[in-house]
Amino acid sequence: MNILISYNWLKEYLDTDLTPEEFAQKTTNSGNSVEHMHDYAKSLAHIVVGEIKTVKPHPNADKLRITEVDIGGTVVEIVCGGSNLFEGHKVVAALPGAKVRWHGEGDLVEITESTLRGVKSFGMICGVDEVGFETLPHGEKEIWDVTELTDAPAGTALSIALDLEDVVMDIEVTSNRPDCMSVVGQAREGAAVVGSALRELKSLKSWKGMVEAPHVNVEEKELCPKYSAVRLEGITVGPSPWWVQKKLILAGLKPINNVVDITNYVLHEYGHPLHVFDADKLDGGKIIVRRAAEGETMKALDGKEYKLSTEMLVIADASKPVAIAGVMGGEETSATLSTKNIIIESATFDPVSVRRTARALNLYSDSQLLFEKGLSSQSTDAALARAIELVSEIALPQAVSSVMVVEAQTYEPRVFPFDPVMANALMGIEMEPDQMLETLHRLGFESKKHKDTFTITVPYWRDHDIEASVDFVEEIARVYGYDRFPSVLPEGAPPLVEPNRALVWQARAKELLKGSGLTETYSYSFLSEKQLANYGFKTDEAIHLKNPLSVDQAYMRPSLVPTMMQTIVENQALFPQADLFEIAPIYVPSPLPEGGAGEGWESSLPVQPLNLVMAVYGKSDSETLFLRAKGIMTRFLEETGVFTSPSQGEAGRGLELDRLVDGSRFHAGRSARVLIDGKPIGTIGQVSRSVEFAFGLDVTAVLVELDFETLLNHFSTKKTFTTLPLFPSVERDLAFVLADRTEYVRIEQAIEKINPHVVSVTLFDTYRGKGIDPGKKSLGVRVEFRADDRTLESKEVDEWMAELRKMLETEFGAMMR
Amino acid sequence: MKSKIQQLKDEALALLDKITDRENLEVLKTDVLGRKGKLNELMKEMMTLADDERKVIGQFANELKGSIEHAFGEKEQSIFQQEELRRAEDEWIDVTAPGNFSDAGHVHPITQAIAEIEETFKKIGFTSVRAPEIDWDYYVFESLNMPGDHPARDDWETFFVDAPEGEKGKIVLTPHTSNAQVHVMESQKPPIRVININRTYRRQADIRHLPMFHQFEGLVIDRGMTISNLKGTIDYFAKTYFGPTREIRLRPHHFRFTEPSFEVDISCGMCNGDASLNCRLCKGGWLEIGGAGMVHPNVLKAGGLDPEEFSGFAFGWGVERTMMMKEGMNIDDIRVLYKNDLRFVRQF
Repeated sequence: MNILISYNWLKEYLDTDLTPEEFAQKTTNSGNSVEHMHDYAKSLAHIVVGEIKTVKPHPNADKLRITEVDIGGTVVEIVCGGSNLFEGHKVVAALPGAKVRWHGEGDLVEITESTLRGVKSFGMICGVDEVGFETLPHGEKEIWDVTELTDAPAGTALSIALDLEDVVMDIEVTSNRPDCMSVVGQAREGAAVVGSALRELKSLKSWKGMVEAPHVNVEEKELCPKYSAVRLEGITVGPSPWWVQKKLILAGLKPINNVVDITNYVLHEYGHPLHVFDADKLDGGKIIVRRAAEGETMKALDGKEYKLSTEMLVIADASKPVAIAGVMGGEETSATLSTKNIIIESATFDPVSVRRTARALNLYSDSQLLFEKGLSSQSTDAALARAIELVSEIALPQAVSSVMVVEAQTYEPRVFPFDPVMANALMGIEMEPDQMLETLHRLGFESKKHKDTFTITVPYWRDHDIEASVDFVEEIARVYGYDRFPSVLPEGAPPLVEPNRALVWQARAKELLKGSGLTETYSYSFLSEKQLANYGFKTDEAIHLKNPLSVDQAYMRPSLVPTMMQTIVENQALFPQADLFEIAPIYVPSPLPEGGAGEGWESSLPVQPLNLVMAVYGKSDSETLFLRAKGIMTRFLEETGVFTSPSQGEAGRGLELDRLVDGSRFHAGRSARVLIDGKPIGTIGQVSRSVEFAFGLDVTAVLVELDFETLLNHFSTKKTFTTLPLFPSVERDLAFVLADRTEYVRIEQAIEKINPHVVSVTLFDTYRGKGIDPGKKSLGVRVEFRADDRTLESKEVDEWMAELRKMLETEFGAMMR
Repeated sequence: MKSKIQQLKDEALALLDKITDRENLEVLKTDVLGRKGKLNELMKEMMTLADDERKVIGQFANELKGSIEHAFGEKEQSIFQQEELRRAEDEWIDVTAPGNFSDAGHVHPITQAIAEIEETFKKIGFTSVRAPEIDWDYYVFESLNMPGDHPARDDWETFFVDAPEGEKGKIVLTPHTSNAQVHVMESQKPPIRVININRTYRRQADIRHLPMFHQFEGLVIDRGMTISNLKGTIDYFAKTYFGPTREIRLRPHHFRFTEPSFEVDISCGMCNGDASLNCRLCKGGWLEIGGAGMVHPNVLKAGGLDPEEFSGFAFGWGVERTMMMKEGMNIDDIRVLYKNDLRFVRQF
């Protein structure tokens, strides 16, 4: 919550010689953050009161006129397009050097002497919106006529003439402190910080009315702890005097008429919302605070009709709701220019009820916001007293009634124990109890001593936010100033905790993939229904948000692929090839019990396993891309210790790829499940045509999706040293032609199995094309033999090679080259 | 004898002077200094001389041998140099052409920031923990001193999952990382010194806010933890991570799960507080990094700890914001972080 506070207004309640900057600094340090300051004397520099001497037509423009304006001692010519230029009237003259906003729009522009349609103009006559007073009522093309507002002679600075030598602070107020959303609230805080006293507020204590108080019946005392009302008769509704209008404008509010202005004035000054009824429009002349009846409706001040329910508290007359309690008044019973008699309400309502009603109706107001944060029932009196005073001064009532107060119960201030030793223990400093109590007293708390501890009585305006003894520590600490606290690292040995495996391996994995030349991406966790469909997900396979920001972000991604596809599509024009990866959780709805969600079934949290997606895309042929992706994946799995060497020839061990035949997401000939020790850990493959098409892919993409969570069980930094061979190995090359569709891994496994002395098999060449029959390929394979106990003899290796060739011929139909 | 040796030297040096290539140098070297070379021949002759004469001649011969060897050494150096010059001419390459380390990889700046933040806290004994991103209302609000209808819940624009309520309430996308607090207290006993870095979600999107972003949450619980300890920890981080030129300000604030609470601000690196720059990023030269405070007694109780015995502090800051505050980062629009424009990511 933010509030605009005029420093002059604040000083009506607080004696201080501090400059606005000094005050802002202090109050910011103690918790009321001044975010911006607006110095009106500065922003209105070179803008003066001008008196129009003559108004003449412009020779070259119908819509412009030439005025002679007295700007104090000198008379200058100013060209102006205003529709309300009158000789002898006082206007706002912006002279060269002044900064104004043309027609209230765009950035500030500095005024210079200029020539308009051939006539020299020494400045500008301004409209209200051109000098920052757009909240004042004004017509289009009208300049600001200040004749009625000031007696100051021509040439007086506008800021002096209109009493605007002021600085307005934009202050952030935390949500627990609605009591600070007012001039008095800020002055009270300021008083505690600068060490001076707050001036006394108005009171109803000695108030005696001339006529009988309005009749009020509170049926729902739980929801309306206090309701007070006063009746003022024979008032004159009209514009407020300038000093009221000015203060409202500086507060960011819009002057309307004196009655409405006074409620806004008191709200801004005292922080308690008021409401005004036209007393003559209340049926039966009485006020009933009750729940709305089912089906009742009311047209609120915003002109909209609201359907009410029995959950909602209303203010009603004898026949109908006239206000939604604490939220907004009704249009029908509001004060208008013809209103003669009014009833002013000053009340408090249950915050939760106000909050629920506002949510249910989607109807919010400044008052409602304060009520739902929690206002004290004891702040109603002062606000009402201040309102009576202001109405009496401005709207000239003929009679004012006594005040009707209906209070659910006698007010009991909140009291909590306070132990200065505990306070010091939490603060980590040594403060004397006296100093603590002095701070609390300055903030309005009262204390009572009991041996070494105290009981503290909470002032009424803090009765919602002070909830426990520990809250006093904050009051003391913030006024003392956090800048004065020492800075000390916690002592003691750090706790011995095993680092989280997932986080450790996630960080390692990212560095490894970077080392393999991949670029990391970060996508939102959200997906649209369309993106889900693009990748073949049904909507019930993803977590659905109840209140997404937009339909594009309605689901939580159950796979990292769709967002990765999006990334490729967005980059493919500038980067026709790239290798990318992302590690992030996917979100999978927890499985429903068999037979669906029946009675007594409770939902459980979605599963949120980390996943790894890699994308290798480009314009080259997809076999190359596939093999690069596989290479990157294999390197990754090796470096993370998932497996230590290529397949050892035993079925179900190490890394295996198992062809995918379902072509919905992937190219059926160029995709496979990835298995470790026979268990699936992910997928590798070129995306299918339909997926390419759905996402708008112009390149070929091979994606690898790995279940990082499962891989966590396989990741290892364990290293084992194998004794170096004592005897040399023998390498032999072999080239042969066989059917193109023969999978290499089968050949490798067959060669490895043929003899225990085979230590490695390496494919060094694959060839198709000229010289090789269609449907065939030529492979070049290097086989390494070694024995642990001797140097192999050429003769025995020759024999094994012969066996090997024979095996390839019979088992694979290979032709040796 | 002496003159023979002198003569050999003079001849050798004269020949040496004329040599311009390595081949002829080697031939001459063998001829003069080799095992069967002229100098050795003379040395052998010397053996026949009488002892005292041999001593004098021998010393003379050794001196001459040294100077011949030195001359050969010099010659060798100069030939090397000439060869190098020739090679430089013949084998010239353009060393200013771009290097050809293909496929340089990149990790995203957020990952880098997370690593740096983790590293900083690790040094003062923090361990990273993992907490759910989609969690029960209980951990996100209820146990953090924000019961049912509390208006403070509005401060977090929360996304709700479209699912029935469980025993621990609604299912929400965590709007902050503080949900880790009670999770950690449930699984580990004090002393607790953990950090939770995770994705967080809020229903807001503009130049300052993303619907998804990262936060890091620190939680310390032990006997006798104080506001000064909290300040010490934050100071340590700020000085280590941002460096000495950036300033930190602690402002009293309000959070339901800490008491006292404050907001940590850092001076803006974009405008350095110069109002005339109309900085789009900061408020009056200060940027809010995030909140901090002493763990509220009610939160300790929710975690099964006795607030009379234990106290603690917590802080929760935005990773992106923290990273952007860093000197020289110069990212003025947070939205670029999740666009995955490779022109952006590859700068890191």
